[in-house]
Amino acid sequence: MAKAGRSISEKIDDLKSEIDWFYGDEFVLEEAMERYRKALVLSKTIEEDLDKMKNEIVVIDRDFSQGDSLEK
Amino acid sequence: MQEQVYTVTDFQAVCNQILETAFSGVVVEGEVASFKVNQGKFVFFDLKDDGASVGCFMMKFALRFPIEDGMKLRVRAVPKLTAWGKFSLTVQSVIPVGEGSLKKSLELLKRKLSDEGLFDAAKKRPLPINLERIGVISSTQAVGYADFCKILNERWGGLRVEVAHTQVQGMVAADQIIRALRYFNERGGVDVIAIIRGGGSADDLAVFNDEALVRAIAASRIPVITGIGHEVDESLSDLAADVVASTPSNAAQLLTRDRRAEKVKIEQDLRRINNLFNSKIDDARLEVKRTVGELRRALEIKLERLSEDLRMREQILAQLNPENVLKRGYVIVRGKLQKGELMELITYDREAVVEVKSVGQRVRFD
Repeated sequence: MAKAGRSISEKIDDLKSEIDWFYGDEFVLEEAMERYRKALVLSKTIEEDLDKMKNEIVVIDRDFSQGDSLEK
Repeated sequence: MQEQVYTVTDFQAVCNQILETAFSGVVVEGEVASFKVNQGKFVFFDLKDDGASVGCFMMKFALRFPIEDGMKLRVRAVPKLTAWGKFSLTVQSVIPVGEGSLKKSLELLKRKLSDEGLFDAAKKRPLPINLERIGVISSTQAVGYADFCKILNERWGGLRVEVAHTQVQGMVAADQIIRALRYFNERGGVDVIAIIRGGGSADDLAVFNDEALVRAIAASRIPVITGIGHEVDESLSDLAADVVASTPSNAAQLLTRDRRAEKVKIEQDLRRINNLFNSKIDDARLEVKRTVGELRRALEIKLERLSEDLRMREQILAQLNPENVLKRGYVIVRGKLQKGELMELITYDREAVVEVKSVGQRVRFD
């Protein structure tokens, strides 16, 4: 699964999938180490994103005191 | 000096001009009496106090709250002298005043809108999952808005928040909020609309019981969350909204995940799978040990059987050894069995050469 450009929510979902694999029927020991490393890297990326991400707050440039009378 | 003589019509016109200039939008407060609605659209009532009374007229669409006699109101109006000489106020907008009037008006309106189904639970929509864009309607100068933004920024990021600045109290607030709702609905581009206003008195929050505003919230195609007042306050706008938050801060909490809680959960999940991983390795190690043990036992049994088999074969071979046959008293005879021929005899410990004296048929007993 390509990771470039994925949102924080998508990355968290990806991590959840990796973690769910460990509890699923498809668990295979030989594959587990590689998957665990993948989960560690992904979790570090997510934690960095969580620390850095900011909201963009924009006040709309419009005067809502002016406009048509609001007749029923 | 000649006196100015007016016709009745001109005098009325002059009076109205003076009234309009002096009181272009006067606000008058009083108690309602003789309330009636004619032809379903013309509203008449008197506004009175202990010392005087004035007649009021307005169009029904401008009446934003149900009113009845005895309620205290505040009207914005233009005074006028009618053609038949009656002084009245032409009302532009009205709001109930004081706890009693507000409560009465609220009860009437709540019953009316509830009967129409505006507050039905089946109409409520959940907040979208993975929210990306929020439309906010609030006063950017208000404390409630500041609280909302603070909690929003603490909890989560990556959101685009577009703010429609409006009044959030007073007679003009309802229309401004309705315009902002219509703006977001017509333009689109947001996943949810949040109407935010901090705590205040019942008068301050009265705008959120405005009938037209409540209807606009119920009709919004975009889900609406309200975060109005304090926890104990409940307005009709709250009842019409899809989701109700107890306060502006609570609205920010309901709209977002908590980045700190997410980090804690990630750490817990990693610890759990680490423990699970180690447990699986231990299980595998035990399984290998058990398998090796079984293999060893199987090999031991096999070896024992093979050894036993070998011993038996050795015994058979020993019995077939010619030396053992000679030991039991048998003799090996070599040579031609004919009269006069020499034959070799071999016993266990002797060899001899003998001459054949005679040959005859042997009598057998088998």
